[in-house]
Amino acid sequence: MFLGHRNTVPLALRREIAPRIGQALVRLAALVWLVPILWMLVASLRSQSFGGPGMASLIPDVAPTLRNFVDAWEAADFPRYYLNSVIIVAGILAVQLVTITLAGYAFARLAFPGKQALFYLFLLQLMLVPVVLIVPNLTMAARIGLYDTLAGVMAPYFASAFGTFLMRQTFAAIPRELEDAALVDGASVLQRIRHVYVPLALPAFLAFAIVSVTAHWNEFLWPLMVINSPDKRPLAVGLAAFTRGQEGAQAWGVIAAGTLLVVAPLLVLFVLFQRRFINSFVTSGIK
Amino acid sequence: MPSPAHVQSTPGAAVADIAVNDVRVRLRRGVRRKRRSAQRAVVALGLLLPSLAVLALFTYAPIVQVVWDSVHTRRAPGIGASFAGLANYQAILADAAFRNAAINNLIYAVGTVGPSLVIALGFALALARSTQVNNLLRAFFFMPVLIPLVAAASLFLFIFLPNVGLLDFYLGRFLSRPPNWLGDPDVALYSIMALTVWKNAGYYMLFFLAGLQAVPDEAYEAAYLEGATSWQRLWHITLPYLKPTTAFVAVIALINVVTQVDHVFVLTKGGPSDSTNLLLFYVYQQAVESYDIGKAAAGTLVSLAVLVAVTAVSLGTLENAFGGRT
Amino acid sequence: MSLSRRTFLAVLAAGFAASAPVLAQTPTEIELFFPVPVDGQLARDMTSMIKEFSDTHPGIKATAVFTGSYDETLIKTRAAMKAGKPPAAVIMSANFILDLKIENELTNLDALIKADGSTNATFMGQFFPALHANAVIGRSVYAVPFHNSTPLLYVNAEHFKEAGLDPEQLPQTWDELTAAALKLTKREGDKVTRWGLMIPSNYDYLGWMMSALTMCNGGRYYNEEFGGEVYYDTPSMLGALTFWNDLISKHKVHPAGEQKGPAVSTAFLSGNASMMLLSTGSLTHVRSNAKFPYKVAFVPRNVRNAVPIGGASLIIPAGVDGERQRAAWTLIKWMTSPDKNGWWSRATGYFAPNMAAYDTPEMKEFLAKNPDAKVGVDQLAVAKPWFATYKTVPVRKALEDEVQAVLAGKKPPKDALVAAQKAADEIMRPYVEQTALKLPRS
Repeated sequence: MFLGHRNTVPLALRREIAPRIGQALVRLAALVWLVPILWMLVASLRSQSFGGPGMASLIPDVAPTLRNFVDAWEAADFPRYYLNSVIIVAGILAVQLVTITLAGYAFARLAFPGKQALFYLFLLQLMLVPVVLIVPNLTMAARIGLYDTLAGVMAPYFASAFGTFLMRQTFAAIPRELEDAALVDGASVLQRIRHVYVPLALPAFLAFAIVSVTAHWNEFLWPLMVINSPDKRPLAVGLAAFTRGQEGAQAWGVIAAGTLLVVAPLLVLFVLFQRRFINSFVTSGIK
Repeated sequence: MPSPAHVQSTPGAAVADIAVNDVRVRLRRGVRRKRRSAQRAVVALGLLLPSLAVLALFTYAPIVQVVWDSVHTRRAPGIGASFAGLANYQAILADAAFRNAAINNLIYAVGTVGPSLVIALGFALALARSTQVNNLLRAFFFMPVLIPLVAAASLFLFIFLPNVGLLDFYLGRFLSRPPNWLGDPDVALYSIMALTVWKNAGYYMLFFLAGLQAVPDEAYEAAYLEGATSWQRLWHITLPYLKPTTAFVAVIALINVVTQVDHVFVLTKGGPSDSTNLLLFYVYQQAVESYDIGKAAAGTLVSLAVLVAVTAVSLGTLENAFGGRT
Repeated sequence: MSLSRRTFLAVLAAGFAASAPVLAQTPTEIELFFPVPVDGQLARDMTSMIKEFSDTHPGIKATAVFTGSYDETLIKTRAAMKAGKPPAAVIMSANFILDLKIENELTNLDALIKADGSTNATFMGQFFPALHANAVIGRSVYAVPFHNSTPLLYVNAEHFKEAGLDPEQLPQTWDELTAAALKLTKREGDKVTRWGLMIPSNYDYLGWMMSALTMCNGGRYYNEEFGGEVYYDTPSMLGALTFWNDLISKHKVHPAGEQKGPAVSTAFLSGNASMMLLSTGSLTHVRSNAKFPYKVAFVPRNVRNAVPIGGASLIIPAGVDGERQRAAWTLIKWMTSPDKNGWWSRATGYFAPNMAAYDTPEMKEFLAKNPDAKVGVDQLAVAKPWFATYKTVPVRKALEDEVQAVLAGKKPPKDALVAAQKAADEIMRPYVEQTALKLPRS
């Protein structure tokens, strides 16, 4: 249970000024942090979409309108984009969960030659950036027949250095005795992973799932490169159609509405699963 | 095991018998151990194979390509590449824009990693207890992480817009001449840094929240009873316990500092006057705008080397802080 | 494999073989890469236009592929070519054409024009003369203009009246422009509440605007016939830059520092700026969103009226052959026909490069209803090609970085232009050494 042992009287209530000032400052900071998102909400419901003098006001209009959402929705095939994004993040996550579990176990529990070097090789993936990888990856995807397919968008991400690292830390913290017990019962490696490690690492999986889903739901450049067919476009690419006015014109209200449409599922999921989400993220952390 | 059917003829033969069998046993165990370790290696390889296959195709193959590109150059437009040794590396190190980007990246690193960590730690300390209010506030700080960078950049384009934008709209009441947030070369980089801190602080906060779990309450109680002030408790108890967390977050933050350039890409494109150019954006410029693949590849490898060095050092610190556990 | 599956596959294979003649008539599939030039709705317009093409051309199935900004379109096209999957046609920003040609990445369209029984001169003759230089390189046609723009002076008519100026007599010279801006700028104490004039100065737009101002000052910016020379350190550009700088620091009618395109249009539409220089491509946006009467005019001159062209052209990347090339050519001709060109122009606010588009009844009606659109078309008579050299973008940036420093008050104009010229010459050196400076050895 997250921080359950902090049920003693909090220090802040023990007549100390510094923690109280700290609390107040943080609440103020939360408001500041929220301002851009608040504005997005307000602007998307505002009727003048080009940027009148009151455009920046955080006070909602007296007569809010859904016009911007309608415009945004109509300008792009949102239902299709949602479907594509869901397929992409689900596909990536499904395969990642398998590869990181297997690789994480190998790094956490097995001793084999070249282990340290291999681990650093894995970490290399974290440090390479899309721009450099575009041409080689696109060529590779085309060569294996995945050009202009959703699978082509997913393929480079099936292995995850971050996930492997996370699983390594998580599995290493699980007591060996549990595995040894299963070993005595004659379980194979895969069976031990499945029955001993996976159930205990569920919070870590949840945490990783959230990071992976968020990253790939919001990804723009690589899908733009791989996908040609309009009906395979994911959300972030569709969103870019609004936010990229070339020669100067921006319809801010529609941009805000379009952004909300993209972000909404994540926000809703977040609000619903907030506590479990943060707890699992936290407990899986770096232990 | 001595062979049961063997009839002992002399005591010397019996001893020799046992000795020979002892050696046989040890040999067999050694072979078994080797077989087991070979087995383990095979098992490990099997477990790593799926990841390695994907990495080979989409990470290592590109690296090979990048290395190849970095030692080739095209002497004239429109013709193929020829071997150039270290010419590309020399070219970028001599390029003022590269040095500029490196300096900007350094300022950017100092300006975002430090403040992000301090702010994130502050948030974590204040929201350590799991109350309803705290949960809500934690959510507020985490929300920027969920917004796609393309959208966050548009949002901030508006926020920074002169006169009509959010900042000027509200701050304009106090400041008669608010700076041109994204258009003044002296200010633009700091605006970008502010966006980065906003976007990432909530993410780092979560790691600190985890790390704070490890600090035992008893330590705080004891210190409080001894009359330590809240600052002293922070300095002498909390921070030492948080060393491994801090190292971990610092590594992630440093990796992000070098690899996250999307906001520059969308908001300023390195400008105005190159004031927001960062290392990886420089690489993008070489690859796309100058169409000089050789220099882009060389720039990538230099950045990669920096990152690997930073990560190795930090991870080393991390492992030590953990007590050398691999 | 089980016996039944093998049998199934065999039957399938036989079926395919039998239907081969039918399959041989499957439509040629081509894709068109297009960036979004002005706003998101146009992506849908383009998609519907391409669908209409496919419906009316049974042998061709064309797909419209949205490819981001002009820059991203360039990246994606090059990456696709390198991966062996070049798109059949691309709407490419006009100022990338020379670079692509130098890198041998474009298909020469001469053969296709000849196969139609036409000549380069006749074919290009359909389009406004100002557009030729960005499409014809070394006498061969490499690109077909698709939509274009020029800078325009937009004016808030209400503010004009309020300041005692006549909205029917719009500023035509730099003198008049400055005088008007002085009257239009409003202050409350130290704070400026309304700027007289705003000109965009972010990367890309800035080069274009400097082009415009320099040309209006009699100058040239670059050598249209040789991609290795630019004219930064010249009196005409110095005059233009000093004029702009004076607007900021001397007359104080223009805000300091880099101003992005969206910032300028938003300021104008919200009444925060009374005049702006902006692309004709934004005309539709201004028309739909301005809550006040506005007027447009030629970009004011100092020495003469002249403006650069902006916009994009249709190209066929290298490596597209046979059926696909012919299909792409059919698409290109269709898209640049007077009807379609005119329709796209009315939808976007860009010009139709095809002159005959302005003779169609729909266009005449449109211009009658929207006289502001006519001003842009009239200015085409004094339009000149868009800046394009070897390594266009870095050469342009060499100037833009320096000009941005001037606009932020960090450098005097002369120093900036000298530095810019030096940097640009250095960038173009490899090309120059292979061409103009490649001299016979004795």
